[in-house]
Amino acid sequence: MTHREHPIWEEELMPYFDGQLDGAKASEVANHLETCEDCAAAVADANGLSQQMTEWKVEDSSQSMRERVLTEMRLQDRSKRSRQRWAWWTKPRVWTYGLTGAVAALVLLTVSVPSLLRSREVQTSASLNMPLTGVVAIQDEPSEIPRPVSAPTRAARAEIQIEAPSGPMIIRSARLTILTKDFDGSRARIEAIARESQGYLDQLTAQGEVGSGRTLSATLRLPSGATETALVELRKLGKVRQESQNSSDVTSQYVDLQARLTNARNTEQRLTDLLRERTGKLPEVVEVEREISRVREEIERMQAQQKDMNNKVQFATIQVSMSEEYRAEIEPSSPSAGTRLRNALIDGYHSAVESVLNAALLVLLYGPVLLLWSAVLIPVILLARRIYRVRLG
Amino acid sequence: MKSDEQLMLEFQAGTVGAFEELFERYRNPIYGFFRRRLNNAARAEELAQETFVIILRGVEQYEPQAKFRTYIYAIAIKQLWSERRKEIRADKFAAEPQEASRESDPSTALWIRVALAQLDVGHREVLMLREYEQLSYDEIAEVLAVPINTVRSRLSRARTELKALLESQSARGISR
Repeated sequence: MTHREHPIWEEELMPYFDGQLDGAKASEVANHLETCEDCAAAVADANGLSQQMTEWKVEDSSQSMRERVLTEMRLQDRSKRSRQRWAWWTKPRVWTYGLTGAVAALVLLTVSVPSLLRSREVQTSASLNMPLTGVVAIQDEPSEIPRPVSAPTRAARAEIQIEAPSGPMIIRSARLTILTKDFDGSRARIEAIARESQGYLDQLTAQGEVGSGRTLSATLRLPSGATETALVELRKLGKVRQESQNSSDVTSQYVDLQARLTNARNTEQRLTDLLRERTGKLPEVVEVEREISRVREEIERMQAQQKDMNNKVQFATIQVSMSEEYRAEIEPSSPSAGTRLRNALIDGYHSAVESVLNAALLVLLYGPVLLLWSAVLIPVILLARRIYRVRLG
Repeated sequence: MKSDEQLMLEFQAGTVGAFEELFERYRNPIYGFFRRRLNNAARAEELAQETFVIILRGVEQYEPQAKFRTYIYAIAIKQLWSERRKEIRADKFAAEPQEASRESDPSTALWIRVALAQLDVGHREVLMLREYEQLSYDEIAEVLAVPINTVRSRLSRARTELKALLESQSARGISR
């Protein structure tokens, strides 16, 4: 029988019987059943079979099963609540975040506290040794220049018009230890810096031979105003291994020296007047002349001191210790295998040390920052993903 | 009345009463599922209980896209297959006597059971899921992980075979 002669396939009858056909198809089959006895009999058979099958009944599940399942459910529920209560504590993720945060905080503290302490030390040292700001302030307010108060001739000098210095008298000095690759160039540059600064090279000593690690020790006397510029230029000569600067305020000593000098000159003048205006016995004249000579000697000594002090104030002292950065070189004329192996070994060792140092520097340089941002960003990303998943449902 | 899926989601959110209601809806159908397929009533009850325990333990993994009805029967059918594998290994299947259900009609029900036992396993399972568990064709296909056309053809053949078996049994009974 073809589909044209019999429009309903046999396999469509069971879905019809089971109520699995859509409305249109179901009504089509129902119409067909009214006219087709075979198909109606097949559906009736299925119905009878279904009726027979329902004869096989089973008892209900026991009450004990109900109790067991519900007991299990309560246990699960209690366990779940307990897990939820302590979930934050037992989750490895929480431990990971906590430990990461703690490590990041520790690293930050380790890095930042010593830096902070160092910067405070530097500030303190600078304020003690380099009172440049103080100098400016003193220049702006000359009335605050310290006055000598404990000089032995204070009473005598009280009547003397003291010629006070125009500003504070600061003696400056600096010391630089430099490691340079270009020894000859650096030496020439030191001499040039002295010339350009309108100063002079007080002392220069160079030791060592070309090709070996040479050293140089130089003392530069430079005008105080040019010190800063000169130091900047000197630092460019190589790696600065050590640097120290010192300044000393000698205003009070200078004023005291000047007062004593004026006083001595007055004494000399009075003695000279006495010798000229009064006549007396020879021993008295000799005594006066001896006194004049002593005062003169004292005046000259103090003048020398004053000159030296002026010189030190006007010209800062910069001591430069320079050493050459020496690298072993293999003579090209005698490249023996042993030497080459040795040098390769040394170079390899240096490369290994350098790479380890570089890696350590990299870790120290970026490690704290990466840890810090990881501690901040990873929880945020995970939280965002969780929210995103929850929204997706 | 709340749907099974709603109750499952409520239980997922922590409402214990939702599971109790689900359990009341399915305790007898699931027990009946195992009872009709296994000879041992105690074992059928154990497996029904295990099915609910599996749902309890996996409640956090349940996703509302899946119908609860197919979800629970899929678990039950896997439990059944696992049990049958164990029985085959222990060679119990043939050795154990057929244990009659307490409420079954000895005349018709016994014939039905005997006839069903003679059907091909694949055909029998489709027919039983349709007749006793009242699953739709789509649900049967999902539970057994077969195409829906396979369900249709197996169901049609199963009914034809069962009818023939029952008729032959009836003829033998009359001749005796």
